[in-house]
Amino acid sequence: MIRVILGTALASVFIIGLGLIGLAAGGSRSLTAYLTLSGLLFAIGMFGFLARRNAISMVMAIELMLNAVNLAIIAFASFNPRLGSAGSVIALLVMAVAAAEATVGLSIILAIFRNKKTPLVDEYDAMRQ
Amino acid sequence: MPIPSTIPILEIPWDDVLFVVLAGTMLASGLAVVVMRDIIRCGLAMMVCFGALAGIYVMAGAPLVGAAQVLVYIGAISVLVLFAIMLTQTKAAPTRLAFQTQAIPAAVAAIVFTVVVLLAVGSTTWGGSGQRGATQTQDVATALFSGWVLPFEIVGVLLLAAVIGGVFLAKRERGKDVLE
Repeated sequence: MIRVILGTALASVFIIGLGLIGLAAGGSRSLTAYLTLSGLLFAIGMFGFLARRNAISMVMAIELMLNAVNLAIIAFASFNPRLGSAGSVIALLVMAVAAAEATVGLSIILAIFRNKKTPLVDEYDAMRQ
Repeated sequence: MPIPSTIPILEIPWDDVLFVVLAGTMLASGLAVVVMRDIIRCGLAMMVCFGALAGIYVMAGAPLVGAAQVLVYIGAISVLVLFAIMLTQTKAAPTRLAFQTQAIPAAVAAIVFTVVVLLAVGSTTWGGSGQRGATQTQDVATALFSGWVLPFEIVGVLLLAAVIGGVFLAKRERGKDVLE
């Protein structure tokens, strides 16, 4: 019981602390805050893509990076009235392409998994020998 | 009793509070996606991350994109990823070693990227009005079906091709590995 309470408290302190980055960058009324969040999310996705061994983890990291780019598009469109509604349209198109990419990527991973019996990318070394 | 427009003592507006909570949830669950060892929890954390990001879209003035985010990412892509995780989970695969040997260089690269992006964002004076404007859903619909109708149709064809390709790639070949 005490561990649950302590864990929840620590997690909320961690979440609020991370969120204060956005407040320090200008709060919800500045473009800088949204772009900062977008850059941080892209960096997280980049780390995941480079560091994880599991192919599906790498796909998830790619999805994070696509979302970061989408957030930047939405932020620019929201703070620049000349872009108007084009930002939302571009973001929707990016989402559709991301869905297509996830479908094809995951089925390629499933096809490789059926042959190699492992989802770990560092064991796909057939072309190295 | 009306709610005061800012937090009583700290004088922080409520939308900033909501922004802090959403941004923190997004960043924390994004970190959880790439750091946690159990991959099924990574998938669930990814759903939380997408949900918080949908809230940020709404705060940035694009509620239609927020709704589409919930439908497409939480509803479709996350479920697809979770299915793929469950299909590829094997007892034989070592679950302890979640990271490559290049994890530390990757972390260094990500930190350098973060610093560069933050410096670039902080030192640039962005044009535009500097005011947050909301996008009307009707304007999005008008733009999507008038000026952007060709990209819209191409994306439709792309989705069809992706569905057919996905079915073809993931389908078992008949009689080859059914018995295993």
